[in-house]
Amino acid sequence: MRSSLPRTHLAGLALALLAGACGRSSPRALAAPAQRIVSLAPSITELLFALGAGPQVVGRTVYCKYPPAALAVPSVGDGLNPSVEAIVARQPDLVVLYRSPHTEAASRQLQALGVTTLVLHHDRLEDIDTTARLLGEATGHADEGRAIARRIDSVLAAPAVPGPHARLVHVVWDNPPIVIGGGSYLDQLTKLSGADNAFHDIATPSATVSIETIAARDPDWIAVLRETSDTMPPDYAKRPEWRVVRAVREGRFLFLPADLFGQPSARAPEAVAYLRHLLDRSPLVVPVAR
Amino acid sequence: MKWIGMGAVLAIAMLVAVVLGPAHVPLSDLLDSPIVWDLRLPRALLALLVGGSLGMAGASLQSLVRNPLADPFLLGLSGGAGLGAVLAIALHLGGPWALPLAAFAGALVALALVFRLGLVGGAELDPRILLLGGVAVGAFTGAVTTAIVSLAEASELRNAYLWLWGGLSSASWATVRLIAVYVPIPLFVLLAAARPLDLLVLGDESARYLGAEVAATKRRVYLAASLLTAAAVSVSGVIGFVGLIVPHVGRGLVGVRHRALLPAAFLIGGTLLVLADTLARVAVAPRELPVGIVTALVGVPLFALLLRRWSAA
Repeated sequence: MRSSLPRTHLAGLALALLAGACGRSSPRALAAPAQRIVSLAPSITELLFALGAGPQVVGRTVYCKYPPAALAVPSVGDGLNPSVEAIVARQPDLVVLYRSPHTEAASRQLQALGVTTLVLHHDRLEDIDTTARLLGEATGHADEGRAIARRIDSVLAAPAVPGPHARLVHVVWDNPPIVIGGGSYLDQLTKLSGADNAFHDIATPSATVSIETIAARDPDWIAVLRETSDTMPPDYAKRPEWRVVRAVREGRFLFLPADLFGQPSARAPEAVAYLRHLLDRSPLVVPVAR
Repeated sequence: MKWIGMGAVLAIAMLVAVVLGPAHVPLSDLLDSPIVWDLRLPRALLALLVGGSLGMAGASLQSLVRNPLADPFLLGLSGGAGLGAVLAIALHLGGPWALPLAAFAGALVALALVFRLGLVGGAELDPRILLLGGVAVGAFTGAVTTAIVSLAEASELRNAYLWLWGGLSSASWATVRLIAVYVPIPLFVLLAAARPLDLLVLGDESARYLGAEVAATKRRVYLAASLLTAAAVSVSGVIGFVGLIVPHVGRGLVGVRHRALLPAAFLIGGTLLVLADTLARVAVAPRELPVGIVTALVGVPLFALLLRRWSAA
């Protein structure tokens, strides 16, 4: 089935890549679904496995840890500063890169070596829709790609959760304090879960702010990404300057699993449900000892 | 008169720092708002102490190595502190004070290395070797830091770089107390060395003929200035340009005698950092700039202006 994919269809794909807002093809477009794919972003690796193209993935970055099956794929190093040599050594027929100045240069080098590349923006929920379709067609899993796109579309089109909304701040780092802004995928997940990101007004994905600003916006919850399942408040919760923030003082932390919330993912509906569950059931309040 | 002026400017700067901020606090609530008492006031005091320390460390080091380009961070301390901080994050050292302590320890190791290098010629610190050693140690620790950041998988390390640009977001009464207890000792050592520093500027030979204990003074001044810088960097990261520019402003205002220059450098450095931090907090609110960027943006044009005025005079 895969090998008999009509050529016209792929020509259409190549056109879509050239014209598409987020894609780019090499001079030599794919003549058949890619069988040896190197993925240079954790979110792309996850999406490829979600499409059922996992067995076709022959290279990943050191940061690609989800799904666990991805760990069996050899790593080609860092995705944002890629090693062209390590990638070519995997003899790929398709390399998918995350768009940045470094990766654009690597993409040109790979194309010069005759490897088809796809450079993608994959930052927001609506990007998953586009990339799922594109990667689905490029890997011979077009149906699965469309199915994922439909799931994402239905989450995006879901009616807004009626208020009142809990206000939360995603604290990414404590010194200097870095929070998630309106430009991030996490901001979208927050909104869809029926909560408000207290820093939605900042247009960039993340920003450095003062503790004073966090205190003044007085969020109900501090959301923290966690690699592990422990629910101990973060270390900074013991620092006096952070205790000016009410949510920190009262130990109102929401711990979000990093593999579910850390990257734009086809599991966005699960992430929304998880956060909604945390908010509805008012998770355990652990007061912080001074 | 000049001293009253400097004191008045500092007082105004402190007032502005406490009144202004990204959060709106009505003037009537100013005295009982936790944002003012627990965030703005300790932060302004920390800026004063850190800026003052950097200014005074810079003034003493420039005299010690007889080089107007000397800066507290040129001597390898920032590299050592950065390496310490990055190691603490990469090794997941826990506890609310892990980062400042690791940065302090890193700065001390760099200090010891550069100090030992400075003594290769004998018991007397050689200013040229101090400078070269500082730059070399700084480059080496910088390379190790970058290697850790690019090889380690902890995604938090990306944020460690932000800390290296400097910022006062860790300010609290606990931090202020810590620095306020620690800083007076090296400050006093430097002030006590004011007279021998005056002589040292004339050159080692002349200083010796005029009765200065050259070797002992150099070691004391180097250690005191470095320990001041290490403390500053452990709570606020690397805040550049204060230690470089402030001593020159001080010389323009009160002259080259260290008895006046060192206290002036403290006052000017403190004032500059209090103002720069206020700007960092409010200029792009609700976002915040790294204060090191503001000190450079404000300090460098000021410096250029002063250079022009002095060369014209």
